[in-house]
Amino acid sequence: MSQAAQSNRIGQPVRRKEDLRLITGRGNFSDDVNWPHQAYAYFLRSPHAHARIRAIDARAALAIKGVLAVLTGRDLEADGLKPLPHVADSGNPHEPDLVAPPGFKEMIAPHHVLAIDKTRYVGEAVAIVVAETVNLAKDAAEALDVDYEVLPAVTATRAAAQPGAPRLWDSPDSNISIDAEVGDKAATEAAFARAKHVATFETQINRVTGVTMEPRAAVAQYDPATRRYTLHAGSGGAVRLKQDLAKILDVPANDVRVLMDDIGGNFGTRGMIYPEFGAVTWAARRAGRPVKWTCERSEAFLSDYQARDLAVTAELALDAEGNFLAMRGTNLSNVGSHPTNYGPLKKGVEIMTSLYRVPCAHFKARGVVSNTMITRPYRSSGRPEVMYVMERLIDIAARDFGFDRQELRRRNLLKSHELPYTNAFGMVYDSGDYHDAMEKAFTLGDWAGFPARRAEAKARGKLRGIGTANYVDTATGVPRERAEITVHDDGRVDVVIGIVSNGQGHETSFAQLINEWLDVPLEKVRLIVGDTDIVQVGGGTHSGRGLRLGSIVMWNASNKIIGKGKRIAARMMECDPSVVHFAQGRFSAQGTNQSRTLTEVAAAAQHLPDLPEDLRGPLAAFSDETIHIPSFPYGCHVVEVEIDPALGTVEIVKYAAVDDVGRAVNPMIVHGQVHGAIAQGVGQALWENIHYDPASGQLLSGSLMDYAMPRADHFPSFVAEFTEVPCTTHPLGIRPGGEGGTTPALGVMINAVVDALSDFGVKHIEMPATPERIWRAIRGRQ
Amino acid sequence: MPTVAMTVNGKAVAGTVEGRTLLVQFLREHLKLTGTHVGCDTSQCGCCTVHLNGTGVKSCTVLALACAGASVVTIEGLADGDTLHPMQEAFREHHGLQCGFCTPGMIMSAVDMVRRKGNDLDAQTIRKQLEGNICRCTGYHNIVLAVQAGAAAMKTAKA
Repeated sequence: MSQAAQSNRIGQPVRRKEDLRLITGRGNFSDDVNWPHQAYAYFLRSPHAHARIRAIDARAALAIKGVLAVLTGRDLEADGLKPLPHVADSGNPHEPDLVAPPGFKEMIAPHHVLAIDKTRYVGEAVAIVVAETVNLAKDAAEALDVDYEVLPAVTATRAAAQPGAPRLWDSPDSNISIDAEVGDKAATEAAFARAKHVATFETQINRVTGVTMEPRAAVAQYDPATRRYTLHAGSGGAVRLKQDLAKILDVPANDVRVLMDDIGGNFGTRGMIYPEFGAVTWAARRAGRPVKWTCERSEAFLSDYQARDLAVTAELALDAEGNFLAMRGTNLSNVGSHPTNYGPLKKGVEIMTSLYRVPCAHFKARGVVSNTMITRPYRSSGRPEVMYVMERLIDIAARDFGFDRQELRRRNLLKSHELPYTNAFGMVYDSGDYHDAMEKAFTLGDWAGFPARRAEAKARGKLRGIGTANYVDTATGVPRERAEITVHDDGRVDVVIGIVSNGQGHETSFAQLINEWLDVPLEKVRLIVGDTDIVQVGGGTHSGRGLRLGSIVMWNASNKIIGKGKRIAARMMECDPSVVHFAQGRFSAQGTNQSRTLTEVAAAAQHLPDLPEDLRGPLAAFSDETIHIPSFPYGCHVVEVEIDPALGTVEIVKYAAVDDVGRAVNPMIVHGQVHGAIAQGVGQALWENIHYDPASGQLLSGSLMDYAMPRADHFPSFVAEFTEVPCTTHPLGIRPGGEGGTTPALGVMINAVVDALSDFGVKHIEMPATPERIWRAIRGRQ
Repeated sequence: MPTVAMTVNGKAVAGTVEGRTLLVQFLREHLKLTGTHVGCDTSQCGCCTVHLNGTGVKSCTVLALACAGASVVTIEGLADGDTLHPMQEAFREHHGLQCGFCTPGMIMSAVDMVRRKGNDLDAQTIRKQLEGNICRCTGYHNIVLAVQAGAAAMKTAKA
C-alpha cells in the first residue's frame, strides 16, 4: 500500500476526494442521468462491411405505436447537418510534418452522423429510431426495410493498400489516404551501405479497442424558446465536445451546452465526438422531446473508436561493435473507414529511434482506409507500436549477430550529458537519466539471477524467458488551456478548467496544487469542469496534458491571486504592497505583527469600497496559455514469463517497471496510472484483438465473450518504481505519468515470450501472443 | 404487467415490471438506485453485482420477477449510515479505484468473496475469485490490496 500522506501538499500520496461518492454508489455517470419526459433512441447499424444504400422504407416502423421518429442519412442531408469536424493533423511546430508527395490527391471522406449513400464498415449507423421505450425503438429498427447493394470489402491493412483492393472513396486512386516520408533518406542509405549488420523486422501490430468500463451514453434536449441544445455525455473534455457538436448542427457554439459528470474511463477512446452524440442531439429537436441513448457493450465493440493496427517493415543498421548507425522502414496505419486523425502515425514515426543514439533514419508514414471502424489515438497513441518495433529489432540484432541484449542497449542508450538531444526526426528530448532508469529496472527485475531461475523452471518442464524494453513518450495534445481561480469570502476556492477527469483523480491532485500554493484546505477546493456554460476554454484530457498543462495555468492564476491579494492586504494593513509576503495562507506585512488571511482578503475584495478596478471582488484570476512544447516521459520495464510448453500459456512471473514522471504530484495516483497502463499494454501483447473476418468483413470479436480482456488472475503484483528527474521544459518539472506504463509493455512482453521460446528456434511471435500461437510456434508451425 | 415486491437495502419495495425486466433494470430504472452499473451484455464484467438473499449475483442475469420476496442489497445499502463498510473504506485507503465505474460491483463481489472464502485471503485467491469482475483502469494491483485489507478489517469489525 501507499504510505500515509504527511500533508495535502505536492508529492504526498493523498487519498482521493472523489472516492466517497464512487464507493457508495453516488457517482453520476452518463447513463445515470434522466430528464423528464425523455424518449429513447436506438441505432440501426449496417450488417455489411461495404454496401450502397438504395433505399430505406420506414413506413412499417413508424406505424408502431410509441415510435416517435425515424431519421436517416437523407433527413440529415435535408436538415443540413455537417460532418464530424475531425482534425487529422495537430500541426504542432515541434513535430515533423507528414507531407504528401507532389500531386498526391487528398482523400475527401466526410464522416457524417449517419451513413448517407454508402456504409463502409459493419456497425456504421444508418438510421436512428426514437420511441417511448428502448424496446419499442429496437422493435421499430427491426421493422426498417433497408435495401442494400452489397459491395466488395477489404479490412486487412496491407491488403487494403494494394492497388487492386476494393475502393472505399472515389478519390484518390487508391485507399492510401496519406503518403509521407520523414528523416534523411540519402544519409540513411549511405549508413546502411557501410553497415556491418542489418537487423530486419516485419510485423502487423494488432488492432485493439479501449473498452472503457462505462459504455457511452447520451441524453440531449432542444429548447425551442432559446434555440439551445443541451447534451449530457462523457468525453475527454466538455469544451471541445461543445464546439464539435455545434459544427455538426451548424449552429453558433453558444447555442450548445454540454454537461458531464463522472466518466467511466477514456484512454483516448472518448477523445473525439461520436456520430451518435450528434444524432441524438439532432433527434431531440426533431422529436420535440429529450432523447436518451445508452450504448450496449456489443454495440461498443462495433462503434467505439478503435486503435493501433499498424503494419511495419523496419531495419536497423549496426557497425561491427554494435553501434547503431541508421534505421529505415515503412509504417502503414489502418485508419479505418474514414481518415480522421494521423496522430498515432505521426507520434509513432517521429520517435522510431526511441532513446537510442541513431544518427540518421528515414521512414515512410502511410495511412490506408479500409472497411473497418475508424482508428484514433488510444493510450500512448502511436508510441507502444514503435517502441515494440525498436525493442524487437534490438533483440533480433543481439540474437542474429551475437551481441548481449543488455550490452547492446547500454552501448546505444543516450547518456545524460548528450541531452538535450535532437533525434533523427527532429524531436528534442529535453532531460532525463535513461541509464539510471534502465539499470534500476534490471536490478528490480533481478536480471542477474535469471539463469538460475530459468534452469529451475526447465527442471520442471517449463520455459522461462526475460525481456526488457526502454521507452520514450511524446506528449503533446491540444496546446491551449485556461484556468480561472476564484477565492470566495468564506474560504472556498473554485477552479474552472477545461480538463475533465476520466478516472485520473484531478479533484485530488489539482487540489493538492492549490493547497501547496494558496494553503487552502483540500476540501475547500472545488473543480468546475463539466458545464460549458461556465467552462469556456480548454483542451480536455489526452496526451498527458491534464496535469502537465493544467498545473501551469493553475500556477499562473494562483500567483496572480497572490499578487492581487498583496495589494488588497496592503490597503487593509496600510502598508506598501512591496513589504507584504504570502506564506501559510496569510499575507503579512514585513516588520510588523500584522497579517490577514486569504479568506479575509477575499472578503475585503468584495466589500472594500475604494479598490481600484482591477482589484474589485471577487478575488479571482485566470491564466490562458498555449503550450506546444512536447514532453518526453521515459523509462524501462523488465518482465519475466514462464510458458507451459504443453499448453502454450504464458504466466507473468514478475513485472518490474521504472518510469520517470519528473515531479510526482501524488505518487499514489501515479503508481495507479502505471499499473493500469501496464495492464492495457500487456493486454494488447497477449490477449486483446479486434478481428474482422477478411472474407466477410464481419467483426468476430464483438463482445466480452470474444474479446479477451485482462483479468485479475492474469497478473502478478507489479514492482513499480519511479525516478523523478525534473523535466527541464516544464516550470514545475512535471512529466506526464498516464501513458508510460503502456508504452514499453508490448515490446517487453514479446521480447520475454520469444526469449522463453529460444530453445525451439522461435524468432518471433506476433501479437496477441495467444496460447495457440505459442503452441504452434513450439511445434514449428507458425 | 405483473407486480413484484421485494426488500431492497432493508426497505420494502414493489413495482410493475415486464416479464423480461432484469433485476438491474428494476434497481436502476424503477428504484433509481443507479450505483449498480451495467458494463456489458454477456454477464462478463461484474459491474452489476449485488447481493441476493446474501449471495453475490450479477443483477443483469436475474429477472426482477424471480426476485419476488427476496432481500437485495446494493452498493447504496452497504454502509451503515455514515459509517462506511470496511470494504468500501479499504478501496479508498488502497486506491482500489480510478474511474469508479466497476467499483460498486467490485466491492459487492469482494464482500461476497469474504463470505465464501473467509477473512484471511491471499493474493492468488483474490485474483482467482475476481475473475468475474473486469476493471480497465487499475491493473488490479491496488484492488487486490484493497480486498485483502477489507477482508481483514471485516473480521475486526465483526469481533
